[in-house]
Amino acid sequence: MSTPPPRALDRRAVLATGTAGTAGAVAVAVSGTRAAEAARPDRPRYFRHGIASGDPLPDRVVIWTRVTPTASSTPGSGKGPRVEVTWEVARDRGFTSIVNRGTFVTGPSRDHTVKLDVDGLRPATWYHYRFTYRGERSRVGRMRTAPAENASPGNLRFGVVSCANWQAGWFSAYRGLAERDDLHAVLHLGDYLYEYGPGKYGYGFNDRDIRTHDPRREMVSLEDYRRRHAQYKTDPDLQDAHAKFPWIITWDDHEVTNDQWARGAENHQPGREGDYLRRRARAHRAYDEWMPVRMNATAELGDGTRLYRRLRFGKLAEFSMLDLRTYRSMNVETLAPTPVPAIQAEVSDPDRTITGKAQMRWLKRSLSETDALWKVVGNPVMIAPITFVQVPGDLLGPINDVTGLLPSDGFPYNVDQWDGFTADRREIVQHIRDHQVQNALFVTGDIHSGWASDLPFDVGSYPLSGSAGVEFVCSSVTSNNLKDLIAAPRRTASLAVEAVIRLNNRHLKYLNFDDHGFSVLDLTAKRAQMDWYVIGDRADKNTSIRWSASYATKVGTNTVTQVSKPVR
Amino acid sequence: MSDCCTPRRPTGEPTPFERGAAEIATGRRALLGAAGGAIAFSTAALAGAPIADAAPGRGRRTAKRAYVLVIDGCLPEEIDGGLTPNLKKLRDGGLRFPQARSMPVMETIPNHVMMMTGVRPDRTGVPSNTIYDRKLKDVRTIERPSDIKVDTVIERMGRNGLRTGTVLSKDYLYGVFGGRATARWEPAPIIPISGHAPDVFTMRAALAMLDDVDPHLMFVNLGDIDRFGHTDVTGGVGIKALRRIALASTDALIGQFIGRLKSSGKWQDSIVVVLADHSMDWSLPHRVVSLAGPLDKDPFLRGKVQIACNGGADLLYWTGPRNQREKAIRRMRAVAERVEGVLVAHDRREPELRLGPEAGEVLVYCKAGWRFSDPDPVTDNPIPGNHGHPATHAIPFFIGGGHSAVPRRRASTRTARTIDVAPTVASFFGLSGAPRGGWDGVDLLA
Repeated sequence: MSTPPPRALDRRAVLATGTAGTAGAVAVAVSGTRAAEAARPDRPRYFRHGIASGDPLPDRVVIWTRVTPTASSTPGSGKGPRVEVTWEVARDRGFTSIVNRGTFVTGPSRDHTVKLDVDGLRPATWYHYRFTYRGERSRVGRMRTAPAENASPGNLRFGVVSCANWQAGWFSAYRGLAERDDLHAVLHLGDYLYEYGPGKYGYGFNDRDIRTHDPRREMVSLEDYRRRHAQYKTDPDLQDAHAKFPWIITWDDHEVTNDQWARGAENHQPGREGDYLRRRARAHRAYDEWMPVRMNATAELGDGTRLYRRLRFGKLAEFSMLDLRTYRSMNVETLAPTPVPAIQAEVSDPDRTITGKAQMRWLKRSLSETDALWKVVGNPVMIAPITFVQVPGDLLGPINDVTGLLPSDGFPYNVDQWDGFTADRREIVQHIRDHQVQNALFVTGDIHSGWASDLPFDVGSYPLSGSAGVEFVCSSVTSNNLKDLIAAPRRTASLAVEAVIRLNNRHLKYLNFDDHGFSVLDLTAKRAQMDWYVIGDRADKNTSIRWSASYATKVGTNTVTQVSKPVR
Repeated sequence: MSDCCTPRRPTGEPTPFERGAAEIATGRRALLGAAGGAIAFSTAALAGAPIADAAPGRGRRTAKRAYVLVIDGCLPEEIDGGLTPNLKKLRDGGLRFPQARSMPVMETIPNHVMMMTGVRPDRTGVPSNTIYDRKLKDVRTIERPSDIKVDTVIERMGRNGLRTGTVLSKDYLYGVFGGRATARWEPAPIIPISGHAPDVFTMRAALAMLDDVDPHLMFVNLGDIDRFGHTDVTGGVGIKALRRIALASTDALIGQFIGRLKSSGKWQDSIVVVLADHSMDWSLPHRVVSLAGPLDKDPFLRGKVQIACNGGADLLYWTGPRNQREKAIRRMRAVAERVEGVLVAHDRREPELRLGPEAGEVLVYCKAGWRFSDPDPVTDNPIPGNHGHPATHAIPFFIGGGHSAVPRRRASTRTARTIDVAPTVASFFGLSGAPRGGWDGVDLLA
């Protein structure tokens, strides 16, 4: 999401410190890494960054690890030999029933990451996997294939997370996921890591760093991105969550830098940081190396960076994971920052896009051409309008014919969301209406708060105009939310803001601006339910986790209602 | 002034009800009184015999019963709207299909025909409510018994010695299914403009048929939800006042029907298939698409295109030289797709449409919130509620009943379609064989 401008530190000072202080940064990072690994029951010599799996299909899953063959082969170093790693996949944790095995050659050109598509698997089946190098075995990971294309699973259950900022606290939300045994996969909706250097965008109002980023500078170079990915992958809670379930991941902006768009970013200064597209290419390269995702539909590196993709889970659900950064137009410049409502009619300029043309065509096909019951959209930024002073669509046209002044769906409070690109949103909801698409379910991250909302065809005349689908928004793992930014106690000042927003947005059913945590999405043929779990203090590594709220949408209704208990 | 659901027939051609009356008057069908003579059923065979013995054939004995209740024009989400507690209870207690579809063209007649034949319009010969009849050289509604080119499950059951009954509230449905069933309700009273019998009378007939004929298969069309939807001028702004009244009223009647099944002891031997033939979309008065003008402005097409308006879909027929047909198809699609409010113009031969030559050359759909008004943009189809276009393809579809074949409280991810009704009913009764070329639908209870 858009992050606020730095307060305590001048941005130039942060950058200068980061550049000059590389050696010190490494020392701190290594220290942090050791601390994390010391907490593990086994301290691996070669597999320090854990293991992961992702993008489950009925017959294949991507598996991933990173090997550190020599002391000098640190992430981003470009040093170390080419080595061969053995991988194995078995039906059982003891690996007495191995179904596939092989070797994978890696080296400094790919930062010693290992990533491959394991095929020949059976649908809807749990497997275990591990890697071996020089006699050392990695920890054992667990993964589940997707159901067969025509299968009708009784339910599907996913952890849902977004916005994990290392410096803002401990990843207890990932611990909460790893402690569960009932998930089929984890859905990560972006901001898996953050680009900032120390002292910026940390914990709470004063941006205190609970943990310090490595490198100690904003990530810009390929080395920076690789090291930052590596640092995050040393977090024990993240490692546990990756080892427990396959993940389905998309990116938002911070995987490159804040508020990125097709040709630039808010947090990119070409004069000091070089060409933006080169920076993005480095970020995407590191992402491809370090994340268990298929880009351009393969686990290969360097064959393309298209991250938007579909994953089908039998007839019960199909996930369309979006990339809402790589092809988007620049955000509209507003007179005042979020959350002050923007009055610029440019948010409705049909020449501006959040998806890009090709992804828009693809998304429309995803919605209307699948026979899966739930059309789940992995949506990095919120699509439901959150606006003020809405005018019914049928009245708006004549008004704008005369004045040209009004945004289509009211004055938005955050133009970094679909609210800043209302023509694209209208195209999607009109497509849903034209084809009577049912059970479109947007699952969203980015906004560091929990939301449940209907998706109006026309916000100005809702509820009469009807709903195109629903949206569930998970909160952040650690990134600051409203109470943190205004330094207010939990459930105090935020309540008034929530009330004003809800009063002005009749389609909005749930809003929690204060808590961090994770969500659980459960899908059946009768309903989709999202449970919000919240953590205590992010600064406390062992903070408590508790259930907070649950909302559901019954199949065919396109509306959200509160339910009294979470799924078990 | 006519709308796209008002039957269009050549001047002087009798209405289906007039044809039915003539059949009775000439002795080709026997009138069988029920409910003390207040409700009339007719049958083609054994005039004067007790109604329950009216089935021809070998007198096969089974306690099984199947009731297909069509809640014409209902939207799936309306079952959850709080106005239809009986439908909701029936849906939630049995096997429901949250992902159910009407098939192109999403109109009443073709989808009722698909329900009873289990095959698509390229085989039934019934692609839409209204077609351009090339022999007649006129636009007409499909309402003749001979319009259905294939066997129906109604006839198949008759040949197996099983009684069937049709309780069809609309004149064109009454017409197109003709005398296929063992017993046919002779609808009355008929609302002159809509050409349908109100649901309260339709349900009275269904209950009477239950008691007096006890058909193994009864096919019922309840037309109020659709008819009130068509004319509901509050629909375009989302209020749907008339429609809501109809939903509540029809639901109460369904409750009566289910209650009668239970009180009569039939419930435990029954499946009750409830579905709509299409859903409904509302337009504001200014959201009207008329293709007649744009097509006539094209020098190549002028005077050589006929339009069969079907509310949310226009069927375009090339009447010019045969050797210019391909060019005409390209030109008609291009012209249509430039008109505001048009969603898409398909070549009728696109394989997934499964429409036969009766549907002409080009199928044009409008966008949601629009309607076609052709050929006259002022007088044709002024009604706000329409269907036929993709915005109206989602339907409620569920199977209740006390028979052990019905799963309890289950939702299926299977995409159920109107063509699945016939194979489901046929399989339930254990009827052997399938139509020549096989079913296009599937047995939903398998």
